Amino acid sequence: MGEVIVITSGKGGVGKTTTTANIGTALALEGKSVVMVDADIGLRNLDVVLGLENRIVYDLVDVVEGTCRLKQALVRDKRFDKMYLMPAAQTRDKNAVSPEQMQKLCNDLKEQFDFVLIDSPAGIEHGFKNAVAGADRAIVVTVPEVSAVRDADRIIGMLATNDLSNPLLIINRLRVDLVKRGDMMNIDDTNEILGIDLLGVVPDDENIVISTNRGEPVVIDEDTMAGRAFRNIAKRLLGEDIPIMDLDEEDTFLDKIKRLLGMDKNKKH
Amino acid sequence: MKDASVLFKGMRGGLKIHIEDNSDMDRVRQEIIDRLREGRHFFDGTTVNLVFTGQALAPLDRAKLIEAIADEIEIGDVEFGGEPKRQEIHKSGKPHMFTGIEEGMTRFVKGPVRNGQRIFYEGNVVVMGDVNPGGEIIAGGNIIILGTLRGLAHAGATGNSDSVIVCFKFCPTQIRIGTIISRPPEEEDDINPVYPEIAYIKDDMLVIEPVK
Repeated sequence: MGEVIVITSGKGGVGKTTTTANIGTALALEGKSVVMVDADIGLRNLDVVLGLENRIVYDLVDVVEGTCRLKQALVRDKRFDKMYLMPAAQTRDKNAVSPEQMQKLCNDLKEQFDFVLIDSPAGIEHGFKNAVAGADRAIVVTVPEVSAVRDADRIIGMLATNDLSNPLLIINRLRVDLVKRGDMMNIDDTNEILGIDLLGVVPDDENIVISTNRGEPVVIDEDTMAGRAFRNIAKRLLGEDIPIMDLDEEDTFLDKIKRLLGMDKNKKH
Repeated sequence: MKDASVLFKGMRGGLKIHIEDNSDMDRVRQEIIDRLREGRHFFDGTTVNLVFTGQALAPLDRAKLIEAIADEIEIGDVEFGGEPKRQEIHKSGKPHMFTGIEEGMTRFVKGPVRNGQRIFYEGNVVVMGDVNPGGEIIAGGNIIILGTLRGLAHAGATGNSDSVIVCFKFCPTQIRIGTIISRPPEEEDDINPVYPEIAYIKDDMLVIEPVK
């Protein structure tokens, strides 16, 4: 019996879909069977990020309406045999599915997979309620901005009323240079307000943009900072004890030499 | 044996619970808890007002019953059949103002109170944890926050301007006492007290100072 994890944020554009795609892929890399469910009906994106858009025949709404069998709607990934996508319908809206139907779908899926990851839509309305209905655990994604942290706080409260009390936090798109200058909220600032367990920190990385456009999750490329961060997140989900990445190591070799020679203008404390 | 010693009835904002005469208290308690558990999701995240009718209860039984119910759901106002109704007090006297700030009914809230959550209580409120931006505490009496206040707190909301707000750390969006509204100054980046402070009204001004 697998586990259903919903990935949510409240605010849009903080990287829920990217996070879902990368955690899912990282879990598949670890040899787990994974299905990613796109719960953003009407505004589906997960298929594009995974590069599986052109393989969709049936979708989630077809399954709950009984137009097709569960298996027919599952799209197998082109890279990993044990990774699947349950795409959202694009021509319908959130009201096409009820929380009870989602619950049943999740229960059916977790019989067959180690992990069921649900990509939640932004907002706190019907779509959010659908996304959390069948979840056993929740991951809240935020970026280190005041408005996103506000929304994350709201979502954490709403998750608690939906029996998902101890969600895990991912801080996405952290910019180390800005944090060092004191121009961006740091990890402690975010933790102080939200007060939930930190699952991982993903640095801002241009490789994400490149890989998203190409439909190749960044996590496949081991050499990227963001890719490594997502691999660590997946390992932590599997129970491994991996410390939060020291983002300072982003310094290039040249920076280190410069610092040694006292040439670095932005001295570290 | 009788079928049931309690009868549930829905009402606006809560439940009316009728207790049959000569019922065994332990059984009454168990039945109420069982019924509430069945409908637990229904009550999730909402505050439920309770009105008890039927058999009069001894004070100890009342306390035990309330305690048991509080473990299951968020309780709002509670009224027992024997007591005079609040509305009747309203009619007989002046507009109702909560006066129990020296000693009076108090609600304890386990924090943090997050964005979008609102605690509204007629008496005093104690929050064990932070109140985050977007969270609201509105109390007829005092508000004590064992944590940081980053949201909104309104003490003496029914008009008692003698009420106070105390918290470990004040970084509020806004605070109100009685009819006085105050917000932190715009240019205050460096005000960062690390000691508990108290807010109260002095000469129609809202004052914040360290708790001595």
